[in-house]
Amino acid sequence: MSAHLALKQIAERFTPVIQRTDVPEDGRLFLYVEPQALREMCRYIFRDLDARYVVGIGLDDRPVSGKFLVAHNFAFDKEHVLCSIMTYLTGNPPRVDSISDLVPAANWSEREFRDLVGIEPVGHPYPKRLILPDGWPDGVHPLRRDYPWDAVPPDYDENRTFDFDNPPDGCVVVPFGPFHPTLDEPAHFRLYVDGEVVRGCEYRGFMVHRAIEKLGDSVLTYNEIPMAAERICGICGCVHNVAYAQAVEQAAALTIPPRARYIRTIMLEIERLHSHLLWVGLGCHVLGFDTLFMQSFRIREPIMWIAEKISGNRKTYALCVIGGVRWNITPALRSELMGVLATLEKEWRAVADAVAGDRNIQKRTRGVGVADAALVKDAGLIGPVARAAGVNIDARRDHPYAAYGDVEFSVITQQGGDVWARLLVRTLEVFESIKIIRQCLDHLPEGPLQAPIQDELPVGRVGLSSVEAPRGEAHHFVITGENNRPRRWRVRAPTYQNLQGVPAMIKDQQIADMTISLASIDPCFSCTDRMEIVDLRSGAHRVYSQEELLKLARGGTRTP
Amino acid sequence: MSLLSKLKETVICLQAGRVTLPYPQEPAKPPAGFRGRPIFNIAKCIGCAGCANNCPAREILVHDICQEIRIIQYVGRRCTYCGRCADVCPEKAITMSPEFENATNDIGDMQQRLELFMGTCQRCGRCFKEPGPMEQLMMKGYRLDLLEQERWVYDAKTYLDREPTVRDIEIELG
Amino acid sequence: METSLAVRFLSGGMNIALVLALAPLFEGILRKVTAKVQSRQGPPIWQPYYDLLKLLGKEDIESGESPAMQRFASWLSLAAILTLAVLVPMGTSPPLSGAADAYLLISILTLCGVSTMLAGLAAGSTYSLVGMSREMMSLMTLEPLLAVAVVVSVVHTRSMALDAVLNGSAYVQAGLPLAGILMLGVAIFAFQALIGRLPFDIAEAETELMDGSMVEYSGPKLALFKFTHMAKLVVYGALLVSIFAPWGSGLPAPLNLFALLAKLLLLVLVVTLVAATHARYRIDQAIRYYGGLLGLSLVALLLALYGF
Repeated sequence: MSAHLALKQIAERFTPVIQRTDVPEDGRLFLYVEPQALREMCRYIFRDLDARYVVGIGLDDRPVSGKFLVAHNFAFDKEHVLCSIMTYLTGNPPRVDSISDLVPAANWSEREFRDLVGIEPVGHPYPKRLILPDGWPDGVHPLRRDYPWDAVPPDYDENRTFDFDNPPDGCVVVPFGPFHPTLDEPAHFRLYVDGEVVRGCEYRGFMVHRAIEKLGDSVLTYNEIPMAAERICGICGCVHNVAYAQAVEQAAALTIPPRARYIRTIMLEIERLHSHLLWVGLGCHVLGFDTLFMQSFRIREPIMWIAEKISGNRKTYALCVIGGVRWNITPALRSELMGVLATLEKEWRAVADAVAGDRNIQKRTRGVGVADAALVKDAGLIGPVARAAGVNIDARRDHPYAAYGDVEFSVITQQGGDVWARLLVRTLEVFESIKIIRQCLDHLPEGPLQAPIQDELPVGRVGLSSVEAPRGEAHHFVITGENNRPRRWRVRAPTYQNLQGVPAMIKDQQIADMTISLASIDPCFSCTDRMEIVDLRSGAHRVYSQEELLKLARGGTRTP
Repeated sequence: MSLLSKLKETVICLQAGRVTLPYPQEPAKPPAGFRGRPIFNIAKCIGCAGCANNCPAREILVHDICQEIRIIQYVGRRCTYCGRCADVCPEKAITMSPEFENATNDIGDMQQRLELFMGTCQRCGRCFKEPGPMEQLMMKGYRLDLLEQERWVYDAKTYLDREPTVRDIEIELG
Repeated sequence: METSLAVRFLSGGMNIALVLALAPLFEGILRKVTAKVQSRQGPPIWQPYYDLLKLLGKEDIESGESPAMQRFASWLSLAAILTLAVLVPMGTSPPLSGAADAYLLISILTLCGVSTMLAGLAAGSTYSLVGMSREMMSLMTLEPLLAVAVVVSVVHTRSMALDAVLNGSAYVQAGLPLAGILMLGVAIFAFQALIGRLPFDIAEAETELMDGSMVEYSGPKLALFKFTHMAKLVVYGALLVSIFAPWGSGLPAPLNLFALLAKLLLLVLVVTLVAATHARYRIDQAIRYYGGLLGLSLVALLLALYGF
């Protein structure tokens, strides 16, 4: 009865402004409130009830209700409840009170629905463009229902640039990205540097924005979206695949067979293994320690092979359909997986012991990129970043899904809040994942892999799903719709939240520590940039002649 | 002590030995169940277009030249090797082969074109039983995708210039 | 010992040829051994030759603030390291020993460091300036180390002539060679930094600074800098071997050359293992480390002045 408990606490103060409540199951709470009460209610939930802010969503509900909708999702981790506070907005352009000054973690979410849906967050402390490219015309909002998914705005302005802040006094601007050897994807951190010390930074990202959410609500169908969701991220693709399927299944009140739940758990943990091993290698590479990078990848390789044997691909498992999974774990695969885990555990134990005493690595990582518990709360940081600061949150235990309710595992926390603590958390989580997979394999239930779906899925239901990705909690919000596709699908990847904490982490540190601090949140920019539209096929591309390109390249550091 | 951990790390490295595989000098065979290039078997295909219906990348095009002849073309350009086409095919005519060395200069090498002789039906044109409500055909009747431009055409009118036999679903195109 | 001009030129030419031929080979061995430690196959040992040839064949693009100065800096670095090669004994006594002395040696050593700084300054981009400032900080603490090593030898032998100074003269003949042993320790711990390899390749950190001073260099200019980096291993190695471990240089040619090569090979292996097992240090940590070594070297100098 935990959702009802949370509802009771909120209803005590806010009954007059609550229009409707929905408690579809124990762990989900949906409240529809009046617009003017949104701010106070969010403040109450965030501060007084100490919930965690998850994501803010804006959507164009005009085809159905004639209004726009804003939802703010919170998580009551200790009570195991995910809740969504929703409010309908009339008028065009719709306006809603910004909650970013009360809930700093909502900063990006509000800028996002400002850009993409055109809902204006009144009173936002930093109302600059987040997602859309600089040249995108004002007033054109791609996620609105009347905007086609493949349209190119005619008045795209190539020469418009982003309006960056001025650097503080005495600081020089050092551009970090969009092209930098450490970054796998483009992102621009504008560092304000005083000598060798970073005094502040401004982030301009979303350069690999791919329109996945727009495709999800206008082109793809329910069972095609998992393939798109998987490609949101190259490392935690399975997480998005499963989280989307779970959100739809929760919205449609579908129960999937137990064998499917266990297989989903096993694949998710296999993904966690490969991701953490990759991260340790990458972190060492950033520090210049290529030998440990090579060895981590060598130890990781058998995981990729077993994943390929189970699912047909090393990384894009294409695991879920709505109602179940597509691949089976045969007895032969089961024993092979056990063998891989045994070798992995032995080798990783040796590496963990060696690294734990390595003062050379510790010198570069202790006290670097510190995110303390206060920053974790304000910015809504999650995953190993939060656990390294001593905040004990883990979506596998707090909001159990798949088979996590049936297995035992510990949540690893450390106290330092620095890069070293995050490295330890990730290294030790490998052993917990091995434990979980072994338990799942031992108790793998027999049965079908997919639930038979006889009717079309019900329309207009809301589903929330939180899955613990290796980087933190990945959260999917789905409203089911007509024509075999959702009305709205919002993805909140963990890096979306963690990146908002980076400017505070790198402040008053040296430039040399910038890369390892950024790398320590395990950033996945392609996860962050998964939104909205448009192929600029004919819009912004022009063919530069070789002379023009050379002139641009030799222009030095001024990039257009 | 740091020296001890460095020694431990060195021992780990030296115990491992060389792990580089001699690919491509020697072939690397993928495991069974590997999802490589899909192979379409025209002998088994019944022309239902279920594969085209469920391809997330819209890479399978369907074009009816006349009532008797249907062309199903797998373009292969954006194919993600997800295997949904193989999943939904009622005749198991599509297999995911172990071929992964698919780099080519000419996209035509990847195309597979099936020209099928269809049985005629006077009632609706093309009518196939769907596996389930989630795999329902998005478009029924005759299909006229543009094969050269590699594009789906969402408004299907028959070549016989009659009203569309079954309206396709609304997809906002503007 | 008077040697004829022709023999000098021949010997000098041989030194230069040796450095030109061997530097990429030692780099290749270094990369191959690193690969073995990392459980992989690694490039063939001739790869650096191919790399240099490839770079030399590329178009010489002008980018950066002052292209003329960039060209000068790249040529200067090569010239400096090759000049150093003829001042250092490689098998035989240093070819220019009559014409040059220890002071010139120290100055050319500094010139080698300055040329990389000039490279970063001439390029003028944000990252190259940061790399240049790191290089400058390292230079200010490392060059004195080298100078002190030479000066200790000068103090012991009471002469500035190269063939006297560069002949194991760090150790006094009688009694306990305290200064020599201390300087040897300092030199061993500083060597990795002197030749700019992990964990002290800070000025050119790829993952942090996009290659620092080298960021605006490509093609032939980059080939010259890369070669200088490779040659530093050979030349600085030969220098330190001759000051601290000259045994075998008295043997008849070509055995003395083989002895030198054997010692250099051992040095390359040690350098590789240290580079493969350490993470890069941050500039402030490195400066503190160099400062400590510099302090020790000054103690060694003091001991040398008092006859130890």
